[in-house]
Amino acid sequence: MPAAQPVRKRRGILGALSLVAIGIGLYWGLVIAPPDAYQGEVQRIMYLHLPSILTAYLSYFLVFIGSCMYLWKREKRDDILAHSAAEIGVLFTALTIIEGSIWGRPTWGVWWTWDARLTLTAILLLIYAGYLMLRSLIEDESRAASAAAVLGIVGFLDIPLIHMSVYWWRTLHQPPSILQPNKAPWENIAWPLLIPLLINIVAFLLLLFYLLSLRYRLGEMRDEIRMRRLEQSA
Amino acid sequence: MGHWSFVALAYGIVWSVIVVYFFFLKRRYRKAQMQLSALPSTRTIEEHEQT
Repeated sequence: MPAAQPVRKRRGILGALSLVAIGIGLYWGLVIAPPDAYQGEVQRIMYLHLPSILTAYLSYFLVFIGSCMYLWKREKRDDILAHSAAEIGVLFTALTIIEGSIWGRPTWGVWWTWDARLTLTAILLLIYAGYLMLRSLIEDESRAASAAAVLGIVGFLDIPLIHMSVYWWRTLHQPPSILQPNKAPWENIAWPLLIPLLINIVAFLLLLFYLLSLRYRLGEMRDEIRMRRLEQSA
Repeated sequence: MGHWSFVALAYGIVWSVIVVYFFFLKRRYRKAQMQLSALPSTRTIEEHEQT
């Protein structure tokens, strides 16, 4: 396969870039950035929390796109994309909930509360964990892909609800830090805190694309293995 | 628990989980590569037979 070599090289560059960005993000977030005036050092969890949830949202957006395309065109590559992105989305959603819980203990006094945003994020995790379980439970590949695609599309509707929950309901959770309507991010957060946040967002997105390219290739190989086994048994 | 303990706990858990996931993914990747190389492709055989 002549195309495999450049893809592997590009993946290697992406991996190296994400490693460098993660290193810079960690150093800036833990050493250079000043502590928050109100929350103190614990606010540094924001440099993990926000990038994690944005990475999860982007993953689910890719699940949504891949699922729509699969139901429309029935092409295996779209299903592989959706499946790969769902796995990474679940990982980052679980991490977001863990980080939020650790951040919540010193700031709210509790590890968990049935707040609208927290509950909707937990539902998001359950939906996509269900997506992955559904795929492993249905033996017929094409049926599993179709059922998962429907769930992948429906599950995505939870994300606007999560985003708007802090406006619609009285919640403990603060309003969005950078994605506020009619407000630029630097109007909400001081530059010394915003810079490490943006670096960490870039680092997490690079990591997402690196993991996704590995997971996507794994999906392609598994599909190829399945095809070859079918050819052999025919 | 001091504030730095919460920060250390969050960063420790997150990066440990990501590293574990990365190695888990790599292991599955290598396993699939080995399985793929062990299975001859009918298409390759057909192409070989044609030449």
